[in-house]
Amino acid sequence: MDSSVHLDNTVMQFGDFTAIQKTDLTIQSGEFFSFLGPSGCGKTTILNMISGFIDPTQGDVKIGGKSMRGVPANKRPTSMIFQNLALFPLMTVAENIEFGLEVRGVSKSERKKASDRLLELVALEGSGTKKVSELSGGQKQRIAIARALAVEPQVLLLDEPLSALDLKLRQHMRTELKAIQRKTGITFIYITHDQGEALTMSDRVAVMSAGRIQQVADPITLYRDPQTSFVASFVGENNGVKGGVIESNSDLVVLDCGPLGKLAGRSQGSVNVGADATLFIRPEHFRLQAESGMYSLQATIDEVNFEGAYLTLNANTATHQALSIQLGTHQFSESLKKGAPVSLSYHEQDAIVIAGEGHV
Amino acid sequence: MFSQLKSRFGSGLAVGIIGMIAVWLIGLVILPQLLMVDYSFRPNLLPADIGGPKDAYSLTNYETLFSNKIHLAIFFKTIWSSVLVTSLTLMVSYPIAFYLAKVATPQKAALCLLLLIIPFWINEILRTFSWYIILAYKGPLNALLLGLGVVDRPVRFLSGDGGVLIGMVYAYILFMIFPIYNAIESLDTNQIKAARNLGAGWIRTHWRVVIPHAKPGIATGCIMTFMLAAGSYAVPALLGSPGSRWFTQIIYNWFFEGGDWNQGAAYAFLLLIICIGFIALVMRVFKVGLGDIAK
Ligand SMILES: Nc1ncnc2c1ncn2[C@@H]1O[C@H](COP(=O)(O)OP(=O)(O)OP(=O)(O)O)[C@@H](O)[C@H]1O
Ligand SMILES: [Mg+2]
Repeated sequence: MDSSVHLDNTVMQFGDFTAIQKTDLTIQSGEFFSFLGPSGCGKTTILNMISGFIDPTQGDVKIGGKSMRGVPANKRPTSMIFQNLALFPLMTVAENIEFGLEVRGVSKSERKKASDRLLELVALEGSGTKKVSELSGGQKQRIAIARALAVEPQVLLLDEPLSALDLKLRQHMRTELKAIQRKTGITFIYITHDQGEALTMSDRVAVMSAGRIQQVADPITLYRDPQTSFVASFVGENNGVKGGVIESNSDLVVLDCGPLGKLAGRSQGSVNVGADATLFIRPEHFRLQAESGMYSLQATIDEVNFEGAYLTLNANTATHQALSIQLGTHQFSESLKKGAPVSLSYHEQDAIVIAGEGHV
Repeated sequence: MFSQLKSRFGSGLAVGIIGMIAVWLIGLVILPQLLMVDYSFRPNLLPADIGGPKDAYSLTNYETLFSNKIHLAIFFKTIWSSVLVTSLTLMVSYPIAFYLAKVATPQKAALCLLLLIIPFWINEILRTFSWYIILAYKGPLNALLLGLGVVDRPVRFLSGDGGVLIGMVYAYILFMIFPIYNAIESLDTNQIKAARNLGAGWIRTHWRVVIPHAKPGIATGCIMTFMLAAGSYAVPALLGSPGSRWFTQIIYNWFFEGGDWNQGAAYAFLLLIICIGFIALVMRVFKVGLGDIAK
């Protein structure tokens, strides 16, 4: 069955505030797709449009190729797991799970079978008669998933469902969600502002900022080749250094970074000679020993933190640019201490250059 | 309670406060009621006979109601009409309360609440009189209905049950709207969304999610409306007489026209007992406890 979701030139405005800028995006059938972005960037608004709680001001939402314009929320093949779960507190666990089936007129015995099967799927066999208030946070979570799956949706919408859980449970639930997605083959649309969550679970991620989708890519591409400076600094940690472009050939760009000297990196998109650009280097790409062909930055160590397997350094350049560096613990030496000078080298292939002033 | 008050106000003031509350409760609430209970079991005698051999306790005053067919009919009509008023008020109030709590923007809700409350700044008698004018045989409502061609002859709303029902629904609507509004307000909007999302239409969403949540509010509203309706005097007197008599009017007559306080007290207690019975019934039906209602 085709359970793709297509945001067809969708715009969402509240009054004269545009919550979602014009977006054209297709989420494949059976894909685990995440929207990642800071609070207030419009993630929930996108889910609300897909599930039919609000109608886009312009454009259309298509599910399985069919336009959803005018289809009310209760007639859409979607099912949502809410940011706060929204289980029905006055019903038992089984009644919660069976609610969607009851609505569809499924007989009591069929409903019971379905809820037993789903309780087994979420590893909560025999909790059907419990009250919602008797469940732990993680159990509620799983009941919310079971309830949403009971109606056999084509598309499951998850609005930061793990945000209320503690770290350990969150990691556990990530694997479970992923397993459920594999088992059911349903399209998962997952919302989070936690990049770790988005990167570990998704087939593809859309990074959003202020109502605009910045980049859609698989997690590795997103990390290695961010297309905009927002993505570069939002996904993972990054050091941005501004400069003027003095050389740009095929995919290599050289920047004049004033007192920091000339620095080079791979270009992302078009970068023109004479324009301003930002060079991004990830903390783990710095080396203490320069090899031939490497570029170097001079800095003064501000802080050294030992984190077990690795060390993190905070350093400042002569231009008061703060840098963060991650080194393997074996590289530790007595000379790495507060106030000491340090030379930081990197391979040009490990840095990227994005046009514009960027924001870091 | 005393220790709390003492720690806040000191012992002198605490004793004073408790004392005043006690005087108020005992002197102005409990004793007069006990006096009425006492009255209701004694015959109505001339001052000279009080304390004499004829002054004995009996159930005679209570039996009067059951031997008087007309009074009994009015009694049951009052109860039945109050039930009707309560259900009509509920039907009118629930959609308004839901709209105010979940649909309207905060500004609109504030405006609507204000519009609902403003008429209640006016005295109840005056408000009822305004309905008297609206519902009059040659009044504006009939003029409107005639003008629209809904009826071809004016309707006689007054001096019958219709006028009383309309007047009472209007008089007590706030007592119904506010508890329900409060209850629905506290419902997480995502619950409604979740029900919709799982495929429920509006009726089922209300039936399974909103109403169960609002039950304590609905019960509170029903109890208040019923009590006020059953104990109402002004509305039936103004909008119903002479066609529709209310039991309160009979009680009034015993006290102030018949001069038989003992008989009046017995009637009043019968009404009270039925009302308490009704509350108990409503609480049973809605499966709510006193604690839920006090919320
Ligand atoms: N019904 C509405 N009316 C007006 N503005 C709204 C409405 N719903 C959302 N917004 C605005 O749209 C923007 C995006 O909101 P949205 O709830 O989609 O954010 P989000 O990305 O889900 O944030 P969070 O991570 O905090 O949940 C916000 O600025 C919000 O104020
Ligand atoms: Mg949100």
